[in-house]
Amino acid sequence: MLFFSFFKTLVDQEVVVQLKNDIELKGTLQSVDQFLNLKLDNISCTDEEKYPHLVSVRNIFIRGSTVRYVYLNKNMVDTNLLQDATRREAMSERK
Amino acid sequence: MSFFGFDPTAPQQSRPNQHQQQQQPLDFEDTYKGYGDYEPEDEDFLNDETFGNNVELGNNFDFGHSGQQQQPMHAMPQQGQPGHRSYVAAAASGTVQQSHMDVAGDLKPMESLWNPNAAPAPVSAPPAHAQPAEPRVLSMEEIERNQRQMQMQPQGYPPMQGYPMGPPPPHGNFMPPPGQNYPMMPQQGQGQPQQFQQMHPMFNQQGYMVPYPGNGPPPPTHRGPPQGHAQGPNQGPPQGPPQGPPQGPPQGPSPVQQQIPQQQHVPQHVPQQMPVQPSQVPGPAPVTAPAAPTGASAAIPQMARSSSSLSQSSNERETFNNHHQRQPHQRQPRNREPLTPEEQKRLEVRHAKVEKILKHSGLMTPRDKDFITRYQLSQIVTEDPYNEDFYFQVYKIIQRGGVVGESNKGLIARAYLEHSGHRLGGRYKRADIALQRMQSQVEKAVTVAKERPLRKQEKEQSRENSNNNGASSTGSVATTQGTDGRDGVLGKISSSLNSKAPRRQLQIPTSNKTLLNSLLVNDDHATASKPTNPDALMEVTESLGNVELNQKSRVRRRSSYAFTSVDQSSVLSRSGGRKFVLSLIETVYEEVLELEANLRSGKPIDNNQLWEALHINDEMYEVCPFISMLSFDKGVKIMPRIFNFLDKEQKLKLLQTFFSELSHLNIIIISSYKTNPEPTESQLKQIDVFQTVFLKIIVSFLSSSSNFIEIMGLLLHLIKNNNVSFISTSKIGLNLITVLISRAALIRQDTNRSNLLSSPEISTWNEIYDKLFTALESKLAAVFPPKEYIQKVGVVSQNGNPNNTTSQYYDQAYIWQFLASLALSGKLNHQRIIIDEVRDQIFGTINEAEQLKEQAKAPMDSNDDSMYRREKLYQDLNLFLNVMGLVSRDGEISELK
Repeated sequence: MLFFSFFKTLVDQEVVVQLKNDIELKGTLQSVDQFLNLKLDNISCTDEEKYPHLVSVRNIFIRGSTVRYVYLNKNMVDTNLLQDATRREAMSERK
Repeated sequence: MSFFGFDPTAPQQSRPNQHQQQQQPLDFEDTYKGYGDYEPEDEDFLNDETFGNNVELGNNFDFGHSGQQQQPMHAMPQQGQPGHRSYVAAAASGTVQQSHMDVAGDLKPMESLWNPNAAPAPVSAPPAHAQPAEPRVLSMEEIERNQRQMQMQPQGYPPMQGYPMGPPPPHGNFMPPPGQNYPMMPQQGQGQPQQFQQMHPMFNQQGYMVPYPGNGPPPPTHRGPPQGHAQGPNQGPPQGPPQGPPQGPPQGPSPVQQQIPQQQHVPQHVPQQMPVQPSQVPGPAPVTAPAAPTGASAAIPQMARSSSSLSQSSNERETFNNHHQRQPHQRQPRNREPLTPEEQKRLEVRHAKVEKILKHSGLMTPRDKDFITRYQLSQIVTEDPYNEDFYFQVYKIIQRGGVVGESNKGLIARAYLEHSGHRLGGRYKRADIALQRMQSQVEKAVTVAKERPLRKQEKEQSRENSNNNGASSTGSVATTQGTDGRDGVLGKISSSLNSKAPRRQLQIPTSNKTLLNSLLVNDDHATASKPTNPDALMEVTESLGNVELNQKSRVRRRSSYAFTSVDQSSVLSRSGGRKFVLSLIETVYEEVLELEANLRSGKPIDNNQLWEALHINDEMYEVCPFISMLSFDKGVKIMPRIFNFLDKEQKLKLLQTFFSELSHLNIIIISSYKTNPEPTESQLKQIDVFQTVFLKIIVSFLSSSSNFIEIMGLLLHLIKNNNVSFISTSKIGLNLITVLISRAALIRQDTNRSNLLSSPEISTWNEIYDKLFTALESKLAAVFPPKEYIQKVGVVSQNGNPNNTTSQYYDQAYIWQFLASLALSGKLNHQRIIIDEVRDQIFGTINEAEQLKEQAKAPMDSNDDSMYRREKLYQDLNLFLNVMGLVSRDGEISELK
């Protein structure tokens, strides 16, 4: 649940999602579910020349398993809190 | 859960004597199919959830249409009247009912789904747009033309689609029977399911008394062999052709033809049933509003009844079409303009779209949707959000500035609503109702999520039971497996892997002891692998010695005056090894997190485990592990949170340990110019963190809750166990000493007024001060770092701060603060010694200040900066001088007036 919990805090923020097929999409995170499927709004492709078919796409649903990276802004993350959350997760697993 | 046992051939068995049945009263024995003899199945109680709770048990299932199909039956008695009715009237009554349904529930189908001509907007448009804004009234010819066009289109589709396409509107109402979408079972798709749909209400209402077969559609009697049943030899794809030829060219849309005859049998039963209805209607009002449109389903029986008097010819088709055009007819009064070709085209396009959607519309009732929503939600919600959804919960609280806003469940409901596109609230835009519904769904989902682990346990238990008891417990196994079966209703659910515990890429062994041991061994190896390093060598021998003398009796050697603590790794290994210390920090974190969770949930706080994890009293190691914990940033950062859970005794003990072993503290070594003449950027950051975090705690503890004796005790610990002159060369060390003596001086001044300090206390203080002073005497000048160090630090911190164009200056205020508090507590002779020792620094500072003044006069330099620095220098210096009644101004020292 940690990642789900984490990505939920990024809703309405702008992120860049790199897919496993190298497509990079910038957009506002609309929603995320427990499979880390993402919904992006107002997307723009960083390499529009290479992927012209994405130029006209405005919002997109991305299957979580196809995501390679999600690039975030540094100030979107509370690292100390994230550390705590990670520890909690590890603790609950050990139980 | 046996709807897979659906047997499409069942009705035929008793069909041959159907004609008879119409005349004779029904005999229970003949007609009762023995449904009641079935043993209750394990999951029968779930049927309500799956199919709605007003469906009778049996093997002819109507997937989720019971509520909706009954609606027309309720309505019929009122309208009721066999005989001829105009189709317009029938259609109108359909709408009446429809609006009735609208009241019943908010979930509405889009009007455009079942009324091909009504909605101008594309299918994807929200229901609100479904009302046509443009001319929509058609003449009969146009209707016919449209109809033909519509029917032409479907012809092009694959065979399995041909049927649903024919009379599209009723199909919106009738859930496509399972067979219909599968080309493999064309005969069923075309023949029976539709009839089942139609007959269902009657069957339903009459319960078991009216036999299904008798009521059921008996195509053979009406249609003859070509229209036979699934079993018939003429069945299958060729169903269309046998029908087509005799009916002639206008039969292009054969599906329509096909359906109408089927409907014709209905009236034959209806009259029979009508009288019974008022008393027999079990009153199963639809529990939730059906999603599928209901107007057409209401109209169909009536239409069928009246159509029975018509001949099976093209004019019947016309009326049929007419009937399905009822929506346009209703709107006729509004506008009578004929359609332009453009509109026609748009209509066609839209109609094609509608058809596509219609194919599966109404497949699920709102109940089904709720059920699935609940299951999906149960994957997301948790009972204990602070535990499982910790980051999100706390992050939101932090973001909102500590105010707990909307409840977690409300948030989930809202998010999920947006997710599912229901946020507009359906046709009536009742967003609030939609939200309420979703919230109740979330509530239910929480219960589902709660149940899940229970069921798992149950299963395991019963497994154990079955292992133990053998055959005796097989029953319970069956039950629990049955319950578990629901987990997989929406797909395969692995027992161990799910979204909460996904598959790991790395499997890390978790047994802590073996892990630690292996790590410790590695640690030793690592140290031993560097034999050239004399320190490391010493460590190896020491850790060897540790193995032999690993007893409590072993006396800790506090090497205060030796510089063995300079090497951090040696300190660490003397306190149990780096890995040990790191794992200790993690343990401390876990304890703190647990305590914080308890605090949040209002449980009692027990800090024993935390205290033990800190190893404050641990004599096992040469260097207290707690001191080593402070070598790591994360160990420093957790300290304020630890202090929240310690009582005063524990805090004091912790600080005593801290001051006793100050020499081992890594941060002292880092911040001392002697041991670390060239600090790196990260080290300077570390110093900063320590200063802001840990010094703050100490100051607040000293100022809030400590008394004079405790402070003296801490100072004594510091002096007794450490090389004070070395500690005073470090910024942090000097700060710590300053904090202690200035706090003591403050208390002394305070209590002087009220004479609270006893004379033994004062004499003890003097003694301690003397000790401190002796330790520092003749080395006071050494508290000033050398010029090279100052420059180095300035350069490094400048690098770390590239935005700052003006050079950074080493702030010596902390040194003057120290000297000031030292002088404040001392007697006159102490002050004299201090001044003697730092005389050079005093004049050096004054000189520097005067030089800056010269610089400030020069036009090319930034005057403000120089003037500011000059002021700062005098300010710091006067901190110290003022204590002795002196003041320095403009290059001269004078008596303070």
